Amino acid sequence: MRAKVFIPKVIIALILMIFSSISPVKAQDSITTSRPVTGLYSLELGGISVNASYLTPLTYKGTQPAISGLWAKAMPFNPESAIMVFDVKADFCNLLNPAKSARMVGLTGRFSWHLEWRKRLQKNFQVTAGGGAGIFGGAYYLLRNSNNPVEALANVSIMASGSISKHFTIGRLPVLVADRIKLPLVSAFFCPEYGETYYEIYLGNHKGLAHAGWWGNNFRLDNLLSITLDFGRTAMLLGYRLDIYTQWANNLNTKIISNSFVIGVIPGGIGLKKHSKANYAWY
Amino acid sequence: MRGNFDALADIIDRHYCFFADKNIDWAEITSQYRSQITEETTIFDLFFLCSQMLDELKDGHVNLSSKFSVSYYRNWWSDYPQDFDLRTLEEYYLDFNWMSASGIIYKQLPGEIAYIYYPSFATIISETTLDYILALMANSRGLIIDIRDNGGGALTNINTLVGRFIEKKTTGAYLMHKTGPGHDDFSEPYPIEYEPSYGHIGWRGDIVVLTNRSCFSAANTFVAVMKDLPNVKIVGAKTGGGGGMPFTSELPIGWGIRFSACPILDSGKNNIEYGIDPSPGCEVHSPAEELAEGKDAILDFAIDLLKDNPLPFPPADPDTNPDDGNPEAGQGNPPFVIID
Repeated sequence: MRAKVFIPKVIIALILMIFSSISPVKAQDSITTSRPVTGLYSLELGGISVNASYLTPLTYKGTQPAISGLWAKAMPFNPESAIMVFDVKADFCNLLNPAKSARMVGLTGRFSWHLEWRKRLQKNFQVTAGGGAGIFGGAYYLLRNSNNPVEALANVSIMASGSISKHFTIGRLPVLVADRIKLPLVSAFFCPEYGETYYEIYLGNHKGLAHAGWWGNNFRLDNLLSITLDFGRTAMLLGYRLDIYTQWANNLNTKIISNSFVIGVIPGGIGLKKHSKANYAWY
Repeated sequence: MRGNFDALADIIDRHYCFFADKNIDWAEITSQYRSQITEETTIFDLFFLCSQMLDELKDGHVNLSSKFSVSYYRNWWSDYPQDFDLRTLEEYYLDFNWMSASGIIYKQLPGEIAYIYYPSFATIISETTLDYILALMANSRGLIIDIRDNGGGALTNINTLVGRFIEKKTTGAYLMHKTGPGHDDFSEPYPIEYEPSYGHIGWRGDIVVLTNRSCFSAANTFVAVMKDLPNVKIVGAKTGGGGGMPFTSELPIGWGIRFSACPILDSGKNNIEYGIDPSPGCEVHSPAEELAEGKDAILDFAIDLLKDNPLPFPPADPDTNPDDGNPEAGQGNPPFVIID
């Protein structure tokens, strides 16, 4: 009888201990701004849907493994507030139509560069905001098609980027929760004319292929929601990425949406442990 | 069922390129066939109903593809004589003894006539192989290119062949595409230019291209291009057409649909969807009964056109020189040249 009363008391005590330990990191006050390159190397796996009306009126769905990397460094002119970020990603996808009678494969890659400023709103809470430029390209190949087998994508954009993050500890483990977003504002992108073959483009007819883009005809969004566990000499990131690419030109519509689980490592950690020289500012 | 039917009707409505040329009222046709769909219509019924509807386009480039069948409008060739028999060619003209490479059968026929049979533009022609073929048959009075029963393939193979027969960049055809879903939304014709095959062996002698109704698509375009060249005659029957590069799309049920999407025009910007006529005075047919007896009238006609041409390199021994006494022998431009 006494044991039955004792066990719930222990559980409640443990829960209270855990919650009481989730508090702003004391080391926060002593974070110093250094300028090492902080790198994130990730594997991603998720689902993707592709609707490319040049190829087919149907929406294809499948899986999309990807590798991605992000490198950040504080800028020398204002290391406390200015950060430069390089971001790359390459992915492959394998898709089927709704009837599962035809297959599509895709390969895309992207690179972007950003300059952002950070603002600490509280000791453990910060936002970054800035902008940059990026390129994106790739192709989706529909195996069943004849003279319209490929939708090629090529895109150059000026984008806004930013993040919001908060860190705390679970026990003695520093944890950072962050949401990072890239939102292209204006772009130039490639799109063949409505019924144009790539053979005609190959022959030299390049009229009407390049288009100026904005949110109305080329809306894109790349959002990474993540939690990073900082072990000091290394950190592990677990996250969810929502990636949206749309374009509308020449009466052709393209809509690509992917949802991916992200797991990554950050050699050197993110600087929430005292002995780390890394800087979490890029979040 | 109606959803898939409507999807098919919409795809064709937005993308098919010959409505105006063929004077087709697609809305009327789809309305007529749509009324035949009932609650009892099975997928097989739907497939054959859609196939019948697509036949109204009278286009050999239109196919509806399912796991159990592929629809195909065959009347573009089945309503006409074949004018060709491969067995007759192999037995009575090639004597079951020929050379072949890159999908090309070739042999120098009696009377020093170079002969090439190219049955499909889907087979990629090797430039090196073509060098060998033309070099091995260089001492010929003319060249016959037989493309009867050639149902087409890749347009790029036309460049490989035509490049051997021209001396300068030549606009051989034009290509158009749809710029929107309207039936009259087309781009301006864009020239398809052919360049000489620099660094390779070219042919400058007389050429005869043999055709029948089963020459379609890329083979049809090849004939349109060759017909413009001054040293070329088209001999045989009118080709089968197929002057629209096909696109592919699909229905929610998973069936594929292929259809003509980009019109190809000849160098005079004329539609070639309905086929190419032989050169004036060169329409010839090979009746089935003659073919069965070993006589190919189209090939015989071509041989007759070339047999009196001089040999570019007559034999040194006058006793074996069939051109002995012919003052033009060896004095014509040799057909064998290196294009530079």
